[in-house]
Amino acid sequence: MKNQINAGLLACALVLAPIAAHADTADGSSLIGKSWDEVVSLAKGGEVNWFLWGGSDNINQYVTEFIGGILKDDFDIKLNRVGLSDTVEAVNIVLGEKESGVLDKGSVDMIWINGENFRTMKQGGLAFCGYTETLPNNKLVDWSNPAIANDFGVPVEGCEVPWSKAQFAFAYDTARTNSPPKSIPEIIDWAKANPGKFTYPAPPDFNGSVFVRHVFYYAAGGVDNLLGDFDQAKYDEVAAKTWEILNDLEPSLWREGKTYPASISALEQLYANSEVDLTFNYEPAGVGLNIENGVFPPTTQGYGLTDGTIGNTNYTIIPFNSPNKAAAMVLQNVLLSGQAQYQKALPDVWGAAAAIDVSRTSDDIQAKFASLNPHPNVAPAAELAKAALPELQASWISAIEKGWQENVGN
Amino acid sequence: MSERLKIFLMLVPALLVIGLLFFGGLFIGLMRSFNYMPVIGLTDPDLSAYLSVFTDREFYLSFLLTFHIAFTSTVISTVIAVGAALLLRRHFLGRAIVNFLFQLNLTIPHLVGAIGILYLFSQSGSFARLAAHWGMIASTSDFPALVFDPYAVGIILQYVWKEVPFIGVIVLANMQTIGEDYESVARSLGATRWQSFRYVLLPLIFPGMLSASVMVFAFTFGAYEIPAILGASFPAALPVLAYRKYTDVDLAARPEAMAMAIVIALLSAVMIYLYLRYSRKRIRG
Repeated sequence: MKNQINAGLLACALVLAPIAAHADTADGSSLIGKSWDEVVSLAKGGEVNWFLWGGSDNINQYVTEFIGGILKDDFDIKLNRVGLSDTVEAVNIVLGEKESGVLDKGSVDMIWINGENFRTMKQGGLAFCGYTETLPNNKLVDWSNPAIANDFGVPVEGCEVPWSKAQFAFAYDTARTNSPPKSIPEIIDWAKANPGKFTYPAPPDFNGSVFVRHVFYYAAGGVDNLLGDFDQAKYDEVAAKTWEILNDLEPSLWREGKTYPASISALEQLYANSEVDLTFNYEPAGVGLNIENGVFPPTTQGYGLTDGTIGNTNYTIIPFNSPNKAAAMVLQNVLLSGQAQYQKALPDVWGAAAAIDVSRTSDDIQAKFASLNPHPNVAPAAELAKAALPELQASWISAIEKGWQENVGN
Repeated sequence: MSERLKIFLMLVPALLVIGLLFFGGLFIGLMRSFNYMPVIGLTDPDLSAYLSVFTDREFYLSFLLTFHIAFTSTVISTVIAVGAALLLRRHFLGRAIVNFLFQLNLTIPHLVGAIGILYLFSQSGSFARLAAHWGMIASTSDFPALVFDPYAVGIILQYVWKEVPFIGVIVLANMQTIGEDYESVARSLGATRWQSFRYVLLPLIFPGMLSASVMVFAFTFGAYEIPAILGASFPAALPVLAYRKYTDVDLAARPEAMAMAIVIALLSAVMIYLYLRYSRKRIRG
């Protein structure tokens, strides 16, 4: 009998052995302050489940092949990319796990995130914080830049690591439109003069929401009055004007504004099919990729607005209950590396602007960045940056989205 | 071991799955809908989520739209399916092939069907382009709005396309077991073709037809993906509205999403009950 039990235990141990080859690193506090070599050796042989928006083939390919390749070859870590249509889905998973008491075996190891979802993660105590100093490549990040140290007005406080920068840009087809409208008031007039040829995705779609914020800034007479904490009186005043402008515009929109596209992909489809003549995206490089993939006509040209467009930084975050925190930290460190940021900036890979301070990288990487040839049809990042507008705090954004649904979208 | 215990034990795995996953989920949803969500500091249960659902105008509009989608799709699908089954039970050349083609789209996922509808019927879709090419309309934007439209034409088209073979196959199987003897007797006693269908065949195939159409009604009332792809942004179908609340970035909107999901479940249970009662009365007379 005893022998049988022993044999049974041995069998169990043998079955479990391959799983236990890498350490469970759910206890994040024990990782903070450890030497980087120790973190790397703890992560070795493990895997990491990265949840991120999966709506772009190029981004997916960069993540799976380039980043996944580095993790596999250099660190023996398996990267599982989990595609989402909306980042909040991953936040919901972590939240549900916390509710049901899954505190150290969560299924999400990392999320591509920013803005309102980051605020939710902080609000619910769902983020692993305070470890960023442990990453060697953290020194490439300019944390003194307020646009990096604050995510949509919410202080980052070591709870996430920047990945890319993006700035909103418009695009039009030079074959269809001679001179596109170059400011919010011009867009409104242009849309009225060309009925049915303009629309925007209904908030809370990320990009639709950003467009509405541009109109909100315009109605406020500039963003400067809106920075800082949410102010109900100020909101009420500006919101009333904004809804008036948008409701006045509505009959001139696509389908007379009786319905709005549900997502940015739907708007891009409408543009590609010539149903509407203008499109826009928070990721200006998308124009180049869409042209190369044959989705947009090659005569599409991206551009910024004279009164400025909104820019932001996006990040990666590790949930508090991730059992693979060491592997997720290795992944974040790889993402921050000059090589990975350069690869991401290549126009035929993604064309995303680097979130690191390139002047802090090696001469070799700096030279590579200097030699980048941006796609000719993409609005140049330097050009856009000349008129960059900040994001509002997340509480403003929720209020504007809700207000739009109640006053315009019905 | 008694026979009863044996049956019980054999049912345990299935019951566990239903009990844990279904009722467990329902229970957590119910708790959340009562504003009980300790993780974000909501520890005093109340009915505020239900209150805000029932005072929201969009909720009522969404309910009407969802009812319209489910009811219209079910009625049209059932009528066409019974008609098709009446034709398919006859013997004719190539029947096997027609039968196969009739059932073919049972295997095609709803989502694929929805994308197909989008490509064919949208204002930049194939039909709009053909109509413009042949000069029937001046430009593609003059094509009638059949998707993202307030009457949910595109959604209903998709459901009818997908559910006709589903109901049809069940009804056809039903008809084939019944055979044609009863109708022949009715005809020999002087019933017209319509009478022999209405008073003989229809009551016989009724149970099968009813359960198939109830399934279609319940499915179309609670389904998310088709109205999400083909529906207008306002009003949205109830499941789309509930999901929108569920993915609201503000955690405080979660209880509202759960309340709405519970209401959807209750509403479809009530409507299925009424539908069963009413249609039994109508057909059985």
